[in-house]
Amino acid sequence: MAESGSVPDKSVQVKLVLLGEAAVGKSSVVLRFVSNEFQANKEPTIGAAFLTQKCRLEDRVLRYEIWDTAGQERFHSLAPMYYRNAQAAVVVYDVTKATSLEKAKSWVKELQRQANPNIVIALAGNKVDLVQPSASSSGNNSESEDEADDATATPGEAPSGESESLRQVPREEAQAYATEAGLLFFETSAKTGEGIVDLFTEIARKIPIEHILASTRGAGRAGPGANRAGVSRQEGGVNLEQGAKPKDACNC
Amino acid sequence: MHVSLLGVSQNLSSQLEFLHLQILSIVTASQLRRIFERRTNFDLRRLLDGTETFLHSMLDRLEFDLAMATSSLHCLRLDPMVRKRVADTLVPTSKVKDILYVILIARGRVVTLIRPKKHSIHPADIHILMNTVHNPSIFNSPAAASWIPICLPKFNPNGFVNAYISFLQRDNPEEPSSAPSPSSPQSSSSASVTDSDSGTALVCISGGADFDTIRSWCDGVTQKLTNEGTLKLLSDCVRSGQAEYTVSELGIPGLRHFVYKSRAQVQVTFPTFEDPYENLTDRRRIITFYQVLHDAIHAKSGQSETLKLQYIRTEKESVMGWITQPFEMYIALSPRLPKSAVVGAANAVSRWVKKEEGRLFLKDAPVF
Repeated sequence: MAESGSVPDKSVQVKLVLLGEAAVGKSSVVLRFVSNEFQANKEPTIGAAFLTQKCRLEDRVLRYEIWDTAGQERFHSLAPMYYRNAQAAVVVYDVTKATSLEKAKSWVKELQRQANPNIVIALAGNKVDLVQPSASSSGNNSESEDEADDATATPGEAPSGESESLRQVPREEAQAYATEAGLLFFETSAKTGEGIVDLFTEIARKIPIEHILASTRGAGRAGPGANRAGVSRQEGGVNLEQGAKPKDACNC
Repeated sequence: MHVSLLGVSQNLSSQLEFLHLQILSIVTASQLRRIFERRTNFDLRRLLDGTETFLHSMLDRLEFDLAMATSSLHCLRLDPMVRKRVADTLVPTSKVKDILYVILIARGRVVTLIRPKKHSIHPADIHILMNTVHNPSIFNSPAAASWIPICLPKFNPNGFVNAYISFLQRDNPEEPSSAPSPSSPQSSSSASVTDSDSGTALVCISGGADFDTIRSWCDGVTQKLTNEGTLKLLSDCVRSGQAEYTVSELGIPGLRHFVYKSRAQVQVTFPTFEDPYENLTDRRRIITFYQVLHDAIHAKSGQSETLKLQYIRTEKESVMGWITQPFEMYIALSPRLPKSAVVGAANAVSRWVKKEEGRLFLKDAPVF
């Protein structure tokens, strides 16, 4: 709230919409990103909530205008109102609920059919904290924390422990689907904060900023040459070269 | 379902009516009809999923809300100049299309209400809005604004309008937002339900779907209210307690409480509940009396003729309901007063309200 109105000229506005089944944690993902907070037992969103957050990326400041939509089925028909002009979408599912991925897939399909063709879509598998061995359950080997971390981070290897049995969507399956559908993919936990900043930073990286700037600036501002230069730079993939640099976190 | 203890059948039907309206605000009458025409055994809970809290808070309101009980609007008591300053800021420019109503709410009461010339607003729709705005889903949301489809059943039971809701101030006593500790908010959300009507909210009802236009207009209005000091004037009024009054301000011997409804303006005013109505049991009793009197003077108690005035005395208090052309009034007094003194007190209340009218009621709010 306090963000609105400050330094409007230098920041690029990016409209972002969150979609996904009810109770997968859309509002919690946003709350973590915007306020770095987490609330257990949040009330369901009604209609849609509007939030803003700035995100610094190299020399650019992005101002996310976020539409956090209600997941209940009766609000489905309203979704086009929110994604129509969106430059980015985060489709959220719950890693402990297989049906929520199916719902996410149908949102992705709808977005790819009906939203802005340049829309950047990210798939987020939320509640990943529920399928990780928690600090308390691995309390017996507390002196080897680093080892434990390394073990869970081993790619492709399912971490041991009962908590993993809650998982209904294997990471690899979601990753494969995301790659095939051309989506960014993250597993996140709004509760611990894992993956949240990465998610929004990665979207920021992929947003064709020059394109947005060119379209909002209008024809009058820059000459045709400058405009073309901007577009070609965007087509060349501004963001590819930045991949090797260390990540700039969003300055929340 | 916990229906209040009033036990009066007329009251029960009015409670059910409000619950029905609240449901309509979520699914519209035509949707509801279509569903039940197709499947008479449809489980409505599927459609109301996630909105249970709206019905719960409506039930809580129904028990004690005197504005709902008298089907009228309850304004915030305010210096008319401050109210006018707020109102002048809220008149939409002709550029902003589709705006239906603009309402500023503080402490669960209407500060001002701007409407088009050709549309008035039904008090029931205001009560539905009030219940919606203060719902924890919206009130506790960290969002800068909420944009929700809502059916205002008295305006149009078959269609949705969009409500832009933005809290300008939340004045929560225990400001939980500053504490980022991840475990605490659970308790704070239940605490804020009890004082759910705090905060100052700007509500803009639009017939259109153009959120961005509404938002930038509302942002501008909010900035203007802040920059010109109007919002501070308003919150100073609220904080200093001027928005409330007690019966002692009237200086009428033996008077304990009253409810005055201006019939022409469909607005109600009443003092805060204090001794001997501070605790819930006594408050319930007096509200039940008001309800009984209300039904009697509106011929809703099964009698063949309407009463103009009804007087009841018990060992705890005397109460009287009185209906005239300009007003209806319910007063509670000490049981030791003779009936003549009760009538005298009622006249004194009506004179006081007349004198205070400018602050108590919303008058001459701009239309567009």
